[in-house]
Amino acid sequence: MTNLLAILFDGAIYASWLFLVAAGLTIIYGVMRVLNMAHGSFYAIGAYSAASLVGWYFSGQTGNPYWSYLLLLGSALVAGTLVGVAIERGLLRFLHGKDEILMVIVTYALLLILEDVTKLVWGVDPYFANQPYRLLGQTEVGAVLRFATYDLALIVVTVAIGLTAWFVLNRTNKGRLLRAVIHDREIAVAMGVNVDAMFTVTFAIGSVLGALAGALTAPAISVTPGIGVEVIVLAFAVVVVGGLGSIGGAAAGAVLVGLARSVAVHMAPEMELFVIYGVMFLVLAFRPQGLFGQTLVRRI
Amino acid sequence: MFPSIRTWLRQTKTAQADRSPWLRARQHLWAMAALFGLTWPLAAQARIEFGVSAASADATIGCMFPLAGRAAIYGRDSIAGMKLALADLAAEVKVGQVPRLRILVEDDRSKASVATRIAEQFIERDKVRFLCGVVSSGVAQAVSRVSRTRQVIMVGTDHASSRLTIEDFHRHYFRVSNDTWTSMAAGARFLAAAQKKDGWRRLAFIGPDYDYGHVAWRDLEQALAVLNVTHEVTAHLWPRLYEPDYTAYIARLKAAKPDIIVTALWGGDFIAFLKQALAAGLLEKSRLANFDTGGNYDVLASLGEQPPAGLILSARHHNNWPATARNRKFVNDFHRLEGRFPTYAAEGAYAGIIAIGRALATAGHHADNEKLIRVLEGMHLSLPEDPDGTVSHIDPETHQIVQAQAIGEVVADTAFAPARLMLGRWTVYRAEELQPPLDLVRSRRAKAGATDSIPGVRRPPRSTL
Repeated sequence: MTNLLAILFDGAIYASWLFLVAAGLTIIYGVMRVLNMAHGSFYAIGAYSAASLVGWYFSGQTGNPYWSYLLLLGSALVAGTLVGVAIERGLLRFLHGKDEILMVIVTYALLLILEDVTKLVWGVDPYFANQPYRLLGQTEVGAVLRFATYDLALIVVTVAIGLTAWFVLNRTNKGRLLRAVIHDREIAVAMGVNVDAMFTVTFAIGSVLGALAGALTAPAISVTPGIGVEVIVLAFAVVVVGGLGSIGGAAAGAVLVGLARSVAVHMAPEMELFVIYGVMFLVLAFRPQGLFGQTLVRRI
Repeated sequence: MFPSIRTWLRQTKTAQADRSPWLRARQHLWAMAALFGLTWPLAAQARIEFGVSAASADATIGCMFPLAGRAAIYGRDSIAGMKLALADLAAEVKVGQVPRLRILVEDDRSKASVATRIAEQFIERDKVRFLCGVVSSGVAQAVSRVSRTRQVIMVGTDHASSRLTIEDFHRHYFRVSNDTWTSMAAGARFLAAAQKKDGWRRLAFIGPDYDYGHVAWRDLEQALAVLNVTHEVTAHLWPRLYEPDYTAYIARLKAAKPDIIVTALWGGDFIAFLKQALAAGLLEKSRLANFDTGGNYDVLASLGEQPPAGLILSARHHNNWPATARNRKFVNDFHRLEGRFPTYAAEGAYAGIIAIGRALATAGHHADNEKLIRVLEGMHLSLPEDPDGTVSHIDPETHQIVQAQAIGEVVADTAFAPARLMLGRWTVYRAEELQPPLDLVRSRRAKAGATDSIPGVRRPPRSTL
């Protein structure tokens, strides 16, 4: 029973992290049909911004330490928006409607450039910002298991982000407009929807989500060059399992991969990596469009 | 701004259509020249060169380190360490015998394919006489194969898998930093002593899922077996390299209820694991030991102010041990050069250049490989990590440097800011205690079908160490 509980909680914690990383990627693809390889860079920029701001805040040794959580969120919001808007307005808007393969190549180049930009800005020394992680202490689950409260809080934050995304897409006018663009871009333009503005907003939201994932992960890790490249492969695995462009799919993919990985770590540690990509293989073998993806009609 | 760029592009296109092919070709040439000019500084940065010029060099050394990505700090520290070694060689070796060294460094991007290509280019284009460096054990194996095939001496400075000096041993490969066997042999002795004191029995291991991690685990098990330490393995876990979330592993370790957890996670991975383990209370019931890399300066700097209980750490070089004039000089010189304190990678690279320099000084600046190999085998070197009264030496049987190792506990120490905690309360193991037994070396080589072993026992008698 204890083992099962541990598997469930570990799986939920990992799934929430995966969803945070993958959500922005899938939103951008859903609306813009851009498979954004540079998403890992948003994660890295979020992590670096948060780590340097939190480090600066605690170096002053004054003020309420709980404000550091606002710094984590604020840094992700500012860094993600600035970088996202700059990239969309300065580069991607000239490529709207181009072949998806070209977009992959362009965003991959962007990933490499941003990787070097982060090194130019923050250097190669590791950044540490573990105060917010330790501040919340531990929480007992079922009297036998103890988890870092920060990790459990991550589940709550992720659920909140997921619900907000669902609510905005399904229950607000802007969300309906966005779905109209996803459904048929040309009709949306004909109906007077400002698709260019929609793209900018969507890309900014995606990059903020990527930066947020990095900022919320920063307190638990050592922030070093290359962290963005490492997450992008996992994010793709999750998004592909769930179905490209589907928020619900990203959530399902994250839960599936998270739980499978947790079972592997507890039952067969040697199989961990295999299990993650094994899930992807199985899903793609039976549903090539992913769990929640739609089959696209190809017009010849 | 952007619409105007678009208009400009359109105008340029129209204008181009009216021009002659010669004019268009000239425009393309200008564009290519401009592009070359813009990217030249970046291309130039891809290779770092120091020491003497190619024309006046007695030997060119081609080194491969990661200069980007997670391990970039180790590459950067290695370069600084090598610069210090050049200065120290000039001061220590007799006038007239100091070899003029030219050092080339390229970014191997921690990839075997890239490092192999660089090594081949070093040999073909730059005519290097030595290959050196490499942080990742996996990458080092690939470069070692180049060294074996091309018969160019390789001096490893910062990778640790004992496979390179045991199963994959060949005459052209030498290593001047501690390997996994050395660290795990010291760890096994520490654990044996701890067992006598508190009777621990349950052991768990967590290491990165690649050659280094698996070899470290095998070395620990074999070193414990050599010492007859009875224990029960309650878990061995293999997270992928660069794993950001260790929650599941920590829960699994807690469920395994080990008395002691040994880890071979390193760098950012060890820091992330440690942060998460401390926050989840893993160290409240188990002790955590990292005998090979855990005491590295970047780890200690990440720990903050409060020394966590239950941590047992060591590393391949310590900034505050041994407290000898030589080690103090090395650390202070590094600080003067870089404005910060070194990770252990710096001392490994330093030792590599010292070893090459001394080999050339002894064998002759233009000595052939055979002579250099004979000089390197059994060479005695005084290095920053040698306690007073001892010197490191290269084991002729394995070509692995043999050094004393110290294992410590985390204590408050503000002498090496920004770190506020350093290692202290040392347990020191003599170099000769940490060599793999000859029969073990040979049985591992035989099992792996190794073909390039050295005939006969050539180790110096222990009393001479």
